[in-house]
Amino acid sequence: MLIRVNDREMEFCGTIMELLLSVNLNPETCAVLVNGEIVKKNEWESFVLKDGDYVEIVSFVGGG
Amino acid sequence: MFEIGGKILKSRLFVGTGKLPDYSLIEKMYYEAGVEVFAVAVRRIGPNTRHTRNVLEYIPKDAVVMVNTSGAQDHREAVKIAMIGRELTNSDWVKVEIEKDTKYLFPDGFETLKACEILVKEGFKVFPYIYPDLNLAKELEQIGVEAVMPLGSPIGTNKGIGCEVLLKPIINEVKIPVIIDAGIGRPSHAAQAMEMGADAVLINTAIATSADPLRMAMAFAKAVEAGRLAFEVGILKEHEYAQASSPLEDFIGG
Repeated sequence: MLIRVNDREMEFCGTIMELLLSVNLNPETCAVLVNGEIVKKNEWESFVLKDGDYVEIVSFVGGG
Repeated sequence: MFEIGGKILKSRLFVGTGKLPDYSLIEKMYYEAGVEVFAVAVRRIGPNTRHTRNVLEYIPKDAVVMVNTSGAQDHREAVKIAMIGRELTNSDWVKVEIEKDTKYLFPDGFETLKACEILVKEGFKVFPYIYPDLNLAKELEQIGVEAVMPLGSPIGTNKGIGCEVLLKPIINEVKIPVIIDAGIGRPSHAAQAMEMGADAVLINTAIATSADPLRMAMAFAKAVEAGRLAFEVGILKEHEYAQASSPLEDFIGG
């Protein structure tokens, strides 16, 4: 199954939580959008990604 | 001490964390320069991005996080970034920064107003970055933003207070706090902003890109304090001709 993560295609099957762990990100400090919509943290364990989903993982960086 | 956005703060120096050579400087600025408010941005992180570290891990827990919507091109994007920010931090302070042009990074007043209307209704403490435009500042005050953040000069230019004649009316006429944001390059510029009656300043580039960001933050903290104190005492009028400081009579004989 193919999804897009931060603008790049990726082979992945599973939930949002599994995706974050597979790319070594700390779920505590991330927010996730699927197809442009924010998915609440409490849904990550049960939210199964579908073929063609566009996932953006965001967090805080230095900014003015 | 002053009250802003539902918080009581001691420092009127707000600091942006972009371009810092090392995020561990944030904690030092908090403890050694007394900075209490830190601006941060929301960006993609992880695979296929430049960013791997989360700046929030470096901000002391008692400091205030101000989420900047920079990168937003219109009010919808700004609202989305604010929502993400609140989801991640529980901080409801949001700096609304919306720019379409990337050469001057001038704020889009029309989109900013629309975003602020939505965010105030959503319960955010809203801090819009704007041109020094009195009419817009008054509109924003009406809809319930916490403060306005007019620019001193374009972001990152270090040119200082380029438009005193436009900023002063905002300071005089709006009742909410005025934070001069952008373009302040030196501590003396910050002192000038405070002498004019600004309630606070937000500095990023001038501190973050200096040779020693911590010591520069300390210099800004002192300048902000000095300028504010002078404003509270009352700045004296200028005179056309010399006004002798020593008495002009009873000179000793020649």
